[in-house]
Amino acid sequence: MALVNLNDVLSFTGNEEDSAFDDAKSSCMNFETSLNFKLPTFSIQNLSDVSDIATAPVDFLKQQMSNENNSRIAIKKGTTTLAFVFQGGVIIAVDSRATGGAYIADGGVKKVIEINPYLLGTMAGGAADCMYWERELGRRCRLYEFREKERITVSAASKLLCNIVYGYKGMGLSMGTMVTGWDKTGPGLYYVDSDGQRLKSDLFSVGSGSTYAYGVLDSLYDYNMSVEDAIELGTRAIYHAGHRDAYSGNTVNVYHMKKTGWEFIYNKDINELHYKYAAEAKPSTLS
Amino acid sequence: MPYDPHPNHEGFLNSVGSPIQHRFNPHTDNGGTTLAIAGKDFCLVAGDTRQSEGYSINTRYAPKVHELSNGSVLATSGMYADSVNLVLNIETRLEWYKHKHNKTMSATASAQMLMTVLYQKRFFPYYVFNILGGVDEKGEGCVFSYDPVGCYRRETYQAHGSSAALIQPFLDNQCGAKHQNIKEELLTLDQAMKITKDAFASATERDIYTGDYLEIFVIKKSGVTKHKFDLKKD
Amino acid sequence: MEILFGFVGKDYALTASDNTAARSIVVQKRGEDKSRILSKHTLLSYNGEAGDTCQFSDYIAANIKLYEIKNGVALSTAACTKFTRRELANSLRSRNAYQVNLLISGSDPKTGVPSLFWLDHLASANKVNYTAHGYASYFILSTMDLYWHENLTLEEGLGLVKKCLKELKIRFIGNLPDFFIKVVDKNGIREIKL
Repeated sequence: MALVNLNDVLSFTGNEEDSAFDDAKSSCMNFETSLNFKLPTFSIQNLSDVSDIATAPVDFLKQQMSNENNSRIAIKKGTTTLAFVFQGGVIIAVDSRATGGAYIADGGVKKVIEINPYLLGTMAGGAADCMYWERELGRRCRLYEFREKERITVSAASKLLCNIVYGYKGMGLSMGTMVTGWDKTGPGLYYVDSDGQRLKSDLFSVGSGSTYAYGVLDSLYDYNMSVEDAIELGTRAIYHAGHRDAYSGNTVNVYHMKKTGWEFIYNKDINELHYKYAAEAKPSTLS
Repeated sequence: MPYDPHPNHEGFLNSVGSPIQHRFNPHTDNGGTTLAIAGKDFCLVAGDTRQSEGYSINTRYAPKVHELSNGSVLATSGMYADSVNLVLNIETRLEWYKHKHNKTMSATASAQMLMTVLYQKRFFPYYVFNILGGVDEKGEGCVFSYDPVGCYRRETYQAHGSSAALIQPFLDNQCGAKHQNIKEELLTLDQAMKITKDAFASATERDIYTGDYLEIFVIKKSGVTKHKFDLKKD
Repeated sequence: MEILFGFVGKDYALTASDNTAARSIVVQKRGEDKSRILSKHTLLSYNGEAGDTCQFSDYIAANIKLYEIKNGVALSTAACTKFTRRELANSLRSRNAYQVNLLISGSDPKTGVPSLFWLDHLASANKVNYTAHGYASYFILSTMDLYWHENLTLEEGLGLVKKCLKELKIRFIGNLPDFFIKVVDKNGIREIKL
């Protein structure tokens, strides 16, 4: 018997003498529509109605969310985020613009997700994907603490996230995130994306404006820089990305990851930074 | 006349000669605009009542702002049918929460719940743009704005729907004090009502999907009041 | 654009892999080691689809390690290859096949006889003397055809690596700046800086 013929079996046709039917009835007497709760009925779609059961949902979602489709579901996208490790810990800097197509849906988005007091995640790609799964990551990290009686390492936390999204590979999740923190091994910085890629490095930038941010970061980054200089570098890199990339902008949020956990540094308006930097002398090229 | 193995019968080949593709699109945009403004001790949630499909108007009165049983108000725009299902889903959860915990769900808790509900349908989303308005634990007005798959943020004012791009800049200026040399302050209820009515009257002039009636819900700690106003019906 | 090639010499097997992690037009990391140690005398080098590569090689490395712990004896290079190939072949008949290209290099711990196996993402496996994956193969297979012989000393082998990398620098549009060169011989696995 094939699944397609199960419809009749699954719709409930019990009779009053049936003992299972009586059991069900007596176990849920307090409900008015008692039997509907205990013995819900439903039908299964005929398999031949679906052209390709394996790929149909993925194709369908891609069509619904593509940029060509005018009835599409506008997922918030377009971002510049960066993080780098230096002698004083980790600096995390992000912009705050969320776009749906060409419309700026929100100019004050928090793209740094505070997973817990010593773990931060950044947000690029689908906003809801990052928001939901990093919240879930926070929950799993808390459970880990209860089980193991110690804080989770950044390496383990990022791998947890990586393994979750890898399970959804090819189904349309979109996220490029940096997981940063401070654990028993010191500062940690990992890049995790929805392909299932997970990389450890000292410097990452993610999002549509990342190339512009890299341009500034690569030429000014120095592991031994001071905390003030590092914060300024993060801010400056996001400013340049916000200036060049139309999908990034509005404000810069900067966080500093220290031994004691993360600290929110500041929120600055990119438009105001523009006039501040314009009034300053350009940095020297001779060093 | 040469033999044609594939005569151009209707339903087999179209004029271009390629196979006709049939694909059912389960999502549609029924238009309409919603808006919410948070105040010090109140929250205002508004929406027009026109429902459209393409260039035709289905009805002039299909409310898309829903008062929920926990005393908050959910404004939905996008696909009407999905919004009906969503509201039913939310209401069921609020009801079961009440039976389970013997208290009504707070506005902030229902905001988090709405995110989870929306994300559960990540791979076949509710095509609905939500704004949830209510009064938080401190008695202050709160507005939560969502994308269709659950990304949300607390705001002080927000417009969604077909006229969002028309109204949001106006709210930025009037509620957010953007591009003005004044400090941003929360509006009084009187100011918020005036701004909302002006916003919808103006949007009706320029957006074919907005019009007919305006419904405004005012949420305070003491309860919800509903006001209805006329918009142009052309 | 990833580069992975290798060959066997007189008493060693050598693989060279680029150390760049890139996505679209952006280099995300330099210094990524795209290999896993399967046992003291067997090395797995990989490239391919992001995410799949790490997941698959971690899985293979863990299971081969498990076998070693359970049985107190390490799998031979050929056995590692056969196991890996079967896992890849099984995955190929699933909905989300691992898209990875592999080289497995090793040396017999007792005799010191080196061996090199080439595996592609369609689960073909071949024992080879010299080989390359991806676009790089179009440029350097002929170089190796020209210079390779079975009695290459390590010094000659490194000379061959230099010849290959030079050719890639000259002709390959995606020339990559830095490589991990790893040698497996009777003493185990070690990295060599050119």
